[in-house]
Amino acid sequence: MPPPNDLVLESRDLGYSYAPGRFAIRHLSLGLHRGEVLGLLGRNGAGKTTTVRLLTTLLPPTEGTATILGYDLRTGGRALRSRLGVVLQSESLDFVSLERNLTLYAFLWGVPREVAKSRAEEMIELFELDHARKRKPWALSGGERRRFQVARELMHEMEILFLDEPTVGLDAISRRRILRYLRERAKQGLSIVFTTHILHEADLLCDRIAILHLGRLLALDTAESLKLRYGGNREVSMVFTTPVPPPLRAEFASALHGRGAVLLDAEPGAAEATNRLALRAEHTEELLPWLSQWVQAHSLEFERMSVEEATLEGAFLGMIGEDAAEEDSRTSRDDSPEREALRQTGGELT
Amino acid sequence: MRLPPVLRLVVRNFTSNLDPISITIRFGQPVVTIVVLGTMFSSIISSSVTNGTSYTAFLVPGMVAFQMITGGVISGNLFWLDRRWAMTEQIFSGPFLRSEYLGGLVLTTLLFSLVGVGVMMLVGLPFIGIAALSPLGVGTVLLTVALGSIFFAGLLITLGTRLRSANAYFSIQSFLQLFVIFLSTVYYPISASTPKVLAVIFYGNPLTYAANTIRDAFAGTLGGSALEGLGILAALALVMFVAAVGAFRTLELGPIQ
Repeated sequence: MPPPNDLVLESRDLGYSYAPGRFAIRHLSLGLHRGEVLGLLGRNGAGKTTTVRLLTTLLPPTEGTATILGYDLRTGGRALRSRLGVVLQSESLDFVSLERNLTLYAFLWGVPREVAKSRAEEMIELFELDHARKRKPWALSGGERRRFQVARELMHEMEILFLDEPTVGLDAISRRRILRYLRERAKQGLSIVFTTHILHEADLLCDRIAILHLGRLLALDTAESLKLRYGGNREVSMVFTTPVPPPLRAEFASALHGRGAVLLDAEPGAAEATNRLALRAEHTEELLPWLSQWVQAHSLEFERMSVEEATLEGAFLGMIGEDAAEEDSRTSRDDSPEREALRQTGGELT
Repeated sequence: MRLPPVLRLVVRNFTSNLDPISITIRFGQPVVTIVVLGTMFSSIISSSVTNGTSYTAFLVPGMVAFQMITGGVISGNLFWLDRRWAMTEQIFSGPFLRSEYLGGLVLTTLLFSLVGVGVMMLVGLPFIGIAALSPLGVGTVLLTVALGSIFFAGLLITLGTRLRSANAYFSIQSFLQLFVIFLSTVYYPISASTPKVLAVIFYGNPLTYAANTIRDAFAGTLGGSALEGLGILAALALVMFVAAVGAFRTLELGPIQ
């Protein structure tokens, strides 16, 4: 983790309200270090896009403060934006060939012509767009357009890159390639703010993850810590070389003493004795040595044993909660505050 | 060398979104009007109606004035396409101010209008001759078209900031274009026989002042009425530019259809 004084972005109680008392984002306090990749996760309407738009000056904050690269977010203006890169959720295109789009965008940013030409070649190769370089935007596939959006933004220098769902519509290989490249750039010192719905992607790429829900920051931590804190129970499955008789199962269940819960299919009293015992447990680190001892003590022999890893998805679902589905159906109605915010801000509140 | 932001935006405006076919049609339409309409109607419209000149000679200054609409429409369309394809938002997230983006659009408008003026002059001169067009006259023509272009660009950009549907934008733009052209003195003068209501509408139309001023410049009769026309155009251009600036300050970004 970078040193704490290496913050390139720091927000305190940042908020945006689209009408008096109606907030799309509220009390957003987070920091971003140089070379760090910060993931913004949340359900539709959580406020991810609003956060990106706020932090890139496309929306004016209605409360709180933020300092980005030493500039006040409210007054930084052009000087601040000239050090940022932004890949917005909505596709933006000029009506020239893909190759010309890249060099034209570089020209807009004041990149010297020769640098722009060589960088365009680099991006075309990196994002596998060589076959489409002479095509106009409307002749590109959805995935090609998305790859192009990211490639175009990388045509100029920046210190912080904001990516709003950059991998939507991409195949697994393209996605992996882009993530690997972004990881490399982060190692070179580029700070990245990245929104996605693909939790596995966030787990792979992000140093820290901010989980937003209904415009509020629920958690901000590393993926590992989030999994540990909110990932819930893990499933431990043991298959033995011989059947485990019901009395032994009953003894196992009582011996657990709250270390875990025996799963239904292997409950004591099950009609048939099977070779399998399965349980759910929160702290497998302490449980596993105990299990090993218990198995040895009862002269059983493992055929195989597996422990299901905690996932970010598990942590995410654990945080947002099962009743979020109900909230979602309420907030996705056309008259919901989030929909209203979408109309007011002219953006996707995702 | 790194160009100033406004000029970079102008270069980008010329490079993107402007396809050769639509540009050819935009400049070609008034040329065809001068050649075909002028030639055909000259034989049936008496020169007494057109202040002693042929109908073609009457039409050429009108078509020169018409270039301010061409420029304004191009600017409005550029802005609309930028909004539609989210380039406005993308540009605003970069090292540009909103005022620079607006300045880039207006400058693009002016350049287009002035190129249009050149094309119309080249086509029209064989019909009207150049004798009476003094340097002051040329300056007046350019200033008139420039002011008119700013007015129409401001009008269409303001409209573009407030509409969220392509159908609505292009329908209103077509209607405005038709209304402004035909209810002006581009095709026919105001005379004693012009119905009073129509005359009032004509004088409420900036294109009338532009066409009349340019006719005076071509005829070498620049005087008080030309100055008055320029003053009205300048005031209208200022009002529409301020309206466009205001609309830009409160422009809501995001998806439109």
